Amino acid sequence: MSTTRLAGVLAFLLGVFVLVPLFINLTGRWDFYYTLTSVALLSVAAAGVWLTFYIGRINIGQGAYALTGGYVSAILITQYGVSFWLTLPLAGLFCAAVSVLIGLPILRLRGVYFAMVTLVLTEVARLTALALPVTNGAKGITSIPLPGELSLFGLTIIPDFSTLGNPKLAFYLMATVLMVLTYLVLWRIVNSRLGHLCRSLQQNEELSASIGVNTAMLRVLAYAISSFFGGLAGAIFVAISQSIYPSSFVVQDSVNFMLYCFLGGLGYVFGPMLGTLLLYFGWDLLSIAKEYQLLIYSGALIALMLVLPNGVLSLLDKKGGRK
Amino acid sequence: MKRRHFLATTGLSLGLALTVSTVAWAENAKLKIGFVGVTSGPAAAWGISNQRSMETRAAWLNELGGVDIGGTVYDVEIVPFDDQKDPKRAIAGMEKMAQEGIHYVVGPNVDDGAAAVRPVAEQNGIMYFPYAFPKELYTPPASNAILGMVANYQSGPAIYKYLMENKGVKKVAFIAGNESDPLSQRDSGAAAARELGLEVVSDSVTYQMDTTDFTPVLLPVIQAAPDLLVLSGVSPANAPQLIRSARELGYAGLISTETAQDAAVLAEGAGELANGFISVGGASTPELASDAMREFVDRYTKMFGEYNDESNTKVYALEYIIETLKANPAAIDNVEEFKKTMDTFEAPNPFMVGDAKLTYVGTTSFGQKRQVSVPLVVNEFKDGKFETLFVAQVD
Amino acid sequence: MEQILANGLYLGAQYALIALGLTLIFSLMNVLNFAHGQMYVFGGFVTYTVVAQLGLPFIVGLIASAVVLAVMGALIEKFLFRPVIRKSKRDESTMLLAAGIAFFLDAVILLLFGEKQRGVPKIVNGVLNWDMRIIMPYDRILIAVLAVALIVGFILFMQYSRTGRAMRALAQDRMAAQLMGVDVDRYSMIGFALGAMLAGLVGGLLVTITGINLGMGGPTSVKAFLMIMIGGAGVISGAIAGGFILGMMESVGLTVLAAYGDITYLVIFASLMVFLAIRPQGLMGKPWG
Repeated sequence: MSTTRLAGVLAFLLGVFVLVPLFINLTGRWDFYYTLTSVALLSVAAAGVWLTFYIGRINIGQGAYALTGGYVSAILITQYGVSFWLTLPLAGLFCAAVSVLIGLPILRLRGVYFAMVTLVLTEVARLTALALPVTNGAKGITSIPLPGELSLFGLTIIPDFSTLGNPKLAFYLMATVLMVLTYLVLWRIVNSRLGHLCRSLQQNEELSASIGVNTAMLRVLAYAISSFFGGLAGAIFVAISQSIYPSSFVVQDSVNFMLYCFLGGLGYVFGPMLGTLLLYFGWDLLSIAKEYQLLIYSGALIALMLVLPNGVLSLLDKKGGRK
Repeated sequence: MKRRHFLATTGLSLGLALTVSTVAWAENAKLKIGFVGVTSGPAAAWGISNQRSMETRAAWLNELGGVDIGGTVYDVEIVPFDDQKDPKRAIAGMEKMAQEGIHYVVGPNVDDGAAAVRPVAEQNGIMYFPYAFPKELYTPPASNAILGMVANYQSGPAIYKYLMENKGVKKVAFIAGNESDPLSQRDSGAAAARELGLEVVSDSVTYQMDTTDFTPVLLPVIQAAPDLLVLSGVSPANAPQLIRSARELGYAGLISTETAQDAAVLAEGAGELANGFISVGGASTPELASDAMREFVDRYTKMFGEYNDESNTKVYALEYIIETLKANPAAIDNVEEFKKTMDTFEAPNPFMVGDAKLTYVGTTSFGQKRQVSVPLVVNEFKDGKFETLFVAQVD
Repeated sequence: MEQILANGLYLGAQYALIALGLTLIFSLMNVLNFAHGQMYVFGGFVTYTVVAQLGLPFIVGLIASAVVLAVMGALIEKFLFRPVIRKSKRDESTMLLAAGIAFFLDAVILLLFGEKQRGVPKIVNGVLNWDMRIIMPYDRILIAVLAVALIVGFILFMQYSRTGRAMRALAQDRMAAQLMGVDVDRYSMIGFALGAMLAGLVGGLLVTITGINLGMGGPTSVKAFLMIMIGGAGVISGAIAGGFILGMMESVGLTVLAAYGDITYLVIFASLMVFLAIRPQGLMGKPWG
């Protein structure tokens, strides 16, 4: 079992870091780099949403944290001259801190109530970004420089992006590395004591509280990790587009993150990654259908839901096998 | 068994889709022009009218035998991309254009998208024509964006000045949706009005884009008793409702906007209450439209069933691209050549009567020529049609 | 002051009617219907087509909207939601289906009715002006009265008809209702059809005032969600209360906070979050709906 799993992981890494760049080089489809970079980043944010699903909460508010993370990074870079590489963890941490403050009261809500509050949260984040002076309001923050050099003890670890001939590849590698790390963390969490506790929350909160699980603490912890991922993804998107507006992440994005999780399968760690790939990449490929793009896209979505209501990864389930 | 089959089919069709989209046609010389904009969702009207006017013009040119650029005859092909008003998608769209070897793209339609595609456009040598007003896009060091219409900070002052002189307007109020584009336009509009010596009695009221009843929104604005109510950056969907609510609240002053509107939409949504509404349009009013413009409207209507007056302002970008390429064929795959030509380019404007010219302008606003010169046509709505109020030029 | 109250009541009546359909579907099937707003838009376009394009009287358009949407709702329940609910492990999976349907309807609306804003000419002319204290056009008053009549009719139907009683039983306890001999499939379908019909009716009513365009669907759904959250999900009186409260909040908030402009909606939304944090089940909902 563990050798097959190891082989699977190796095959995945090989695919992401060798085969995809090779494929792009051979076919010359350079535009796939950005699409796949987006998929990687969105799946990082979706991983966070998945984690909140894991504790039994429907999270439609990840866009708020992606936006917050993006603004933290943009403001630190443009107004305080902080290196992008330092703003990346700071953006995540800031989002985690904010999510603790917001999470403490709202995580008491369940079901659709929690879902709706998080939906409102996305809109609140957008309106806050419009109203605050530090975010430059409606005019957004533009002309943000590309990520600079990252060096440790005089040793260049990551070169300055603006000196690179192909920043697309650099962004792709950065995003996929981050994605791999994120899912590693997620996988580790799920298969740890913390994961077991989270599952107990998903099944029955009262019961797990009654046997001594600190449910409030656990919920906030999971939500904070989730928001951390959202902040990271937002910050990198800002680096790619070199600009951020209050509308950079909106309610639609939050809903999409949730859909990625559903489509991939809520019971599978790698569900959000696959869901993001299918939905985001699928939309791009369908652009050849012109005005029928949305019709085909949504039709396929409905059909997929009818055939596989538990997510695409439920295909892997053996007949009547493990859940 | 069945599931495996399903997976295999999905994989196969995915692979097929990939190959199909990479195969290029090679029967005729094609001049591909891109369009990256929003053609679905709430703002679909902006992008769709844009894309359709490009497609109409392209089909027309191809029917005439194509365009002759440097001795080669090209068929014009429009490559559209729906960015869903999402700046992240807009980047993907621009990447796709680069992939297709396209150097000239019309769009995006909004501020955030236009700012987001800038890195991609500059890295890949793409000139793009956004319908977004932020000045950073067009002032140096930025040099690949060309404003495809008249900005509100150019048309606003002209309209206010005209109304001050001709209608005795003294007090003006602004109202805007709480989104980037309208709010930015409100701020620059209010600043321009103050500079002209107008008294701004209200410029803080905003509304959600999905508002279904504007009475509570407008109430405080009307109570400030302005002579002129400016609907900053108003979308075609909201304009009739705002006009109707303002009139029903008893507001008797003038109402204007600096965006393009559609007469049919105004007539349906506000009826005769919209009479006197002032907006910016293209050159399709009877006084100004040339035969070419009339034919354009006919062809558009034939192709898509119904004309959209917003297209009047959106017919120009494609015309500029093609005419500039004709003037300097070397620019066909080299935007530096295009930029050089822009400084001196001049061609007759086919859509307007008289001897109007197509040139690049914008030196006053941006310090370089990064704007298409379109006539600033200010219209007044009257019984279901637009009438020209006055025409001005931007430099 | 009177004007603010009148505005709030008018907004509240239309909001409550939108929320009713959503909460009905939610209470019966535990489905959060993301496509509710799109159904509303569809209803508006049907009325527009009948009234403005075919030139038939307004009431015909309204009936056409109700019928078309009821049929659509019944079909969606029977062929989409029912099989998915049966097969999926988690209730929430229906959200993906609902979102898919929302996208699908968006696409259909764009292809069928086009991208433009549409409107039906005013059905009644004139404006009520009570001493400059209340200004309210007659057509708005008419629509508000119609909306209230529909709400009352709906409540009576749910309260006294056999179908209504069966649906209420279903909402209270699905299992128990089934044991008592209620045909769950049938009444789920009727309930969904009824919910969709209400959405279509609001669309038909409002097309005369606000007009309709394909972008209104998503935001309308979100607003309807807010209302049923305020009142309590799955409770009919809660949806009505939620609609009127949100209407009042907007009307009062917009007037009081006009000077601060940009933050009006921020305050409205933020106070909503605070309210829900304090009272998680809304005004009168079952806790943990």
